Amino acid sequence: MKRLVITAASLAVFAAGVAAAQADDLTIGEIHPITGAASFYGLVMTQTLKMRAAEANAAGGLDVGGTKYTIKVDSGDSQAQATKGVAALRKLMADNVHFIIGPLSSAVAPAIKPIIDSHSDILQIIDGSIADGVVNGRNSFRVQASADTYNNAVIKYLTEKKYKSVAIMTDRSHQGFRMSEPRMVAALKKAGIDVVGEEYFQIGDTDFSAQLTKLAAAKAAVLVVRGYPGEGALITKQGQALGMSGQIVWEMGAPPSTVRKNIPAAQMNGVINCIPRMMADYVRLKVPNAVKLQDTFEKRYKQEPGENAAFTNDAFWILTTAMQKAGSTKPEAVAKEMTQLKVSDVPHLVTQYLPYEGGLLFKDGQANPPSSCQVWQGESWQNLPGDKVKITTTN
Amino acid sequence: MIELLPQQLINGVALGSSYALIALGLTLVFGVLQIPNFPHGELYMLGASFTYILVASGMNFWLAVPLASLGVVVVGILLDQVGYRRIDKGGNLSLMIAALAMSTVLQQVATILWGAEPHTTPSPLPGVLRTPFFSIGYYQILIFFATLACWLFVWLVLHRSRLGLAIRAMAQNRTAALLMGIDLIWIRIATFAIGSLIGGVAGSLLGASFPIYPTMGLNPVLKAFVILVIGGVGNLWGAIVGGFLLGILEILVAGYISSQLQDIGTFAILVLVLIVRPNGLFGRAEVLR
Repeated sequence: MKRLVITAASLAVFAAGVAAAQADDLTIGEIHPITGAASFYGLVMTQTLKMRAAEANAAGGLDVGGTKYTIKVDSGDSQAQATKGVAALRKLMADNVHFIIGPLSSAVAPAIKPIIDSHSDILQIIDGSIADGVVNGRNSFRVQASADTYNNAVIKYLTEKKYKSVAIMTDRSHQGFRMSEPRMVAALKKAGIDVVGEEYFQIGDTDFSAQLTKLAAAKAAVLVVRGYPGEGALITKQGQALGMSGQIVWEMGAPPSTVRKNIPAAQMNGVINCIPRMMADYVRLKVPNAVKLQDTFEKRYKQEPGENAAFTNDAFWILTTAMQKAGSTKPEAVAKEMTQLKVSDVPHLVTQYLPYEGGLLFKDGQANPPSSCQVWQGESWQNLPGDKVKITTTN
Repeated sequence: MIELLPQQLINGVALGSSYALIALGLTLVFGVLQIPNFPHGELYMLGASFTYILVASGMNFWLAVPLASLGVVVVGILLDQVGYRRIDKGGNLSLMIAALAMSTVLQQVATILWGAEPHTTPSPLPGVLRTPFFSIGYYQILIFFATLACWLFVWLVLHRSRLGLAIRAMAQNRTAALLMGIDLIWIRIATFAIGSLIGGVAGSLLGASFPIYPTMGLNPVLKAFVILVIGGVGNLWGAIVGGFLLGILEILVAGYISSQLQDIGTFAILVLVLIVRPNGLFGRAEVLR
């Protein structure tokens, strides 16, 4: 009997210890394409998140309301596909995860939106997708730009350069670009720029000659290409071969290493890319937080952090700062705190978000990253003359 | 818009060349061995990847093409011996499932080995031929003639050699061919070797035009199956004509109707051919006795 009591007591103490240890764990879920065609974007985001979590744990854990939490990262692989993304979210929910960073893909974000909307105990920060209408400002927020921010960067460039006509080629499988196209065309026309042609392709296409032949005949001053760099490179090459002489303007996240793998660097000379500022841009402009992230990432993974590391880094710091300010890990309390979070509240942000009224970071769930245009010279993108970044965050 | 027709037709011929080149190897294997060889798309991918690796390591492109294609031949033969041969009597469904499985396996292995990020072999023949009516890249002209050369090579093997005679006999009537003493195993190996060689050459050459990544063969192999149906399964000339027809049609749909309907044009012609000539433009009706 005595042995039974001792065993029971030991088990109870052990169970209590396990429960206590579990209570101090904080799991952040992520939905990114870790495998598949878009994995070269998503893997970097996963690595950034895991690196930040490991750093916080090495520093003794995340202090929320006097309790130290060990951060765990639970990964969901979307493969940039809607069905896989939904499955990844369901898996995270089954794992009892309440905080989710992602997705990257504009195919996945709209697919998981209804589930996120109907679960107030889940808090999502989108760090990649630019699709329309995927944030609600209650329990879903976005640190990546909206499609309109991408479009506005192009419109601003064309207006400043006083171009009179433009032809547009859009990846029709890209939800963000496709859905925002009518607004972009209307804004261009309002700015006095004639849209002489709109053509479409989809990711994975390799021949664009029919569309480019039509657009070349229209003799537009500018060809705007909206999609991904693989197709962007082919369109640029094939457009040049078909005798297109206008300015080529890309509207896409295009890491130089990816661009160079798809087109000889010399053929890219003079191509403009207008997008929200990304990791490499901030590093070139020597923003301290960006340089620090790049150094840490390179030390840890022996590779460059890539374009999207900045947004994942920012999502991590925004989430953990909101938790600390809320003094709680309850999703509802953290979400409420995020609506009141100011740009200056969050440390280590790489993206120099433009504050909304009152210095707020989010408006209706959407953060406001600045955009700019770069020009390809030599082996990579370079800032246009006179380009400066306004430092808005704590560095 | 009609003034663009010569350029659009040239665009169609250039696109059709790439389709025909990929379809040629597939139609041979399907026609002779009745195997829906979905991994033909992955053999195409391997041809492109091997060439990329060889060129990146400093080898001359024109030397890399035959070496990479021979590497693909080895993979193709292994594919048949490991994946298909042992389940040959299992029926069409088993072969189809095996084909899909091997396609996935090859994609995954390629992803593990080389990653998913696209890359391109630098074009060995840059430059564009410009005329008053159209422009075409010198390399596209080379692809066109390479397609015709591959067709001629396969035709000569099939129609001017004892091996070709045996392959054709096997394609026409397997039981009768076996009764005549034709060795099925060697015919399989030869057929897969030729089919893989053409797939490898297609990948090697087209990898200097298109991005190379593990799933790059998916779309082309689907188009190649459409070409098989259009041209007639197992018919080499059908693969060539079907490829050019599909290429030109896709370009005309995108150029004159809408670039959003490009794929619909592909499947519209497929349905049309199936209704009008169910055995394809060059296929012969089979008579069961």
